[in-house]
Amino acid sequence: MSKKVCFMYPSSEYIFDGVRSALGLAVENMYAYGVVMKNEIDEINDYNKENIEWMRDMEGDVYSIPEGNVEKHGLTKMTLEELGQKLKEMDVIVPYGIMRSTED
Amino acid sequence: MKLLNVYRSEPADDVKKLVDIVSDGCETNSFDLNVEAPDYDKLVDMVTDADKTICWW
Amino acid sequence: MAKSIGIFVTSPQNMRHVMGVTKAAIAKGSKVKVFFTWTGVHLTKCADFPSLCALDNVDVSICADSYKRNGYDVTDIPKGLTSKEMATQAQHGAIIEDYDCYLTL
Repeated sequence: MSKKVCFMYPSSEYIFDGVRSALGLAVENMYAYGVVMKNEIDEINDYNKENIEWMRDMEGDVYSIPEGNVEKHGLTKMTLEELGQKLKEMDVIVPYGIMRSTED
Repeated sequence: MKLLNVYRSEPADDVKKLVDIVSDGCETNSFDLNVEAPDYDKLVDMVTDADKTICWW
Repeated sequence: MAKSIGIFVTSPQNMRHVMGVTKAAIAKGSKVKVFFTWTGVHLTKCADFPSLCALDNVDVSICADSYKRNGYDVTDIPKGLTSKEMATQAQHGAIIEDYDCYLTL
C-alpha cells in the first residue's frame, strides 16, 4: 500500500526545494503533500509551477496556511487545525528545513 | 499507536497546537534534542519503541 | 534483531545529532541509512562527515542536485562518498520503504 507523506515548509528558502523533494516521493508511488506554513510567496517560476502541477496530477497537493498564496498562486487553502487532522492520516511527517523565528 | 515527538528547538505556538492535535488518541512520549548533551542512547530506544516519530524543528 | 533507522537530513545545523543518533543506533545493532538534502548538504563539509561515512552498517548518500544548487561542484565528491552516493530523492523513498524507523534532522 502506498505510503502517505506530508512535508511542512516553515521558511521561504525551503518551500520549493521541499516541493521538489515531495515530488521525488510522488514519483516513487507515494502520496506526497506539502504545506507552506508561514510565508507569502512573491513569485513562482515555471519550473516550480510544473512541479506543483505534477504533484497534483499524482494525487498529491501543495497547501498554504497564509491565504495570500491561495489567492495569488492557486495553492490549496488549509488551516492549522486542518493540517493537524491531515497529519493524523500520514505515515510519515517531515518538518522540513529550519524554522526561522525572524519570519514569524 | 505510540507517537514520539522530538523537539530540535523550543516549540513555537503553532507546533504546540499541531502536537496537541496529532497526539490526541495516541500514547505519546517526547524527547528534547535542544540540550547541551542529548542522551542519544535513550533517544534511539524511544524511536525504536515508537510506531511513529515526528522530529519537529 | 534491532530495528533499522533512516535519517533524512534537511537542516545544516544538526551534524552532532546525526552523529549521536547514528553511533547510538549502530551500537545497538541497528542498520542506519542517512540521506542529506537541500541545505543539509553543507554538512558534507563538516570534519565529522568522513567518519560518519566510514562507520560500519551505515549507508550515507546525498542529493547531488541539492549539492549543485547550494554552490558545490558535483565532480568534487565529498570525502567519504563515492560517485554512486551522489544520488537523488529516491534515497529518501528507500528510507521510507525499507527502514523500520524514520527521523528528520
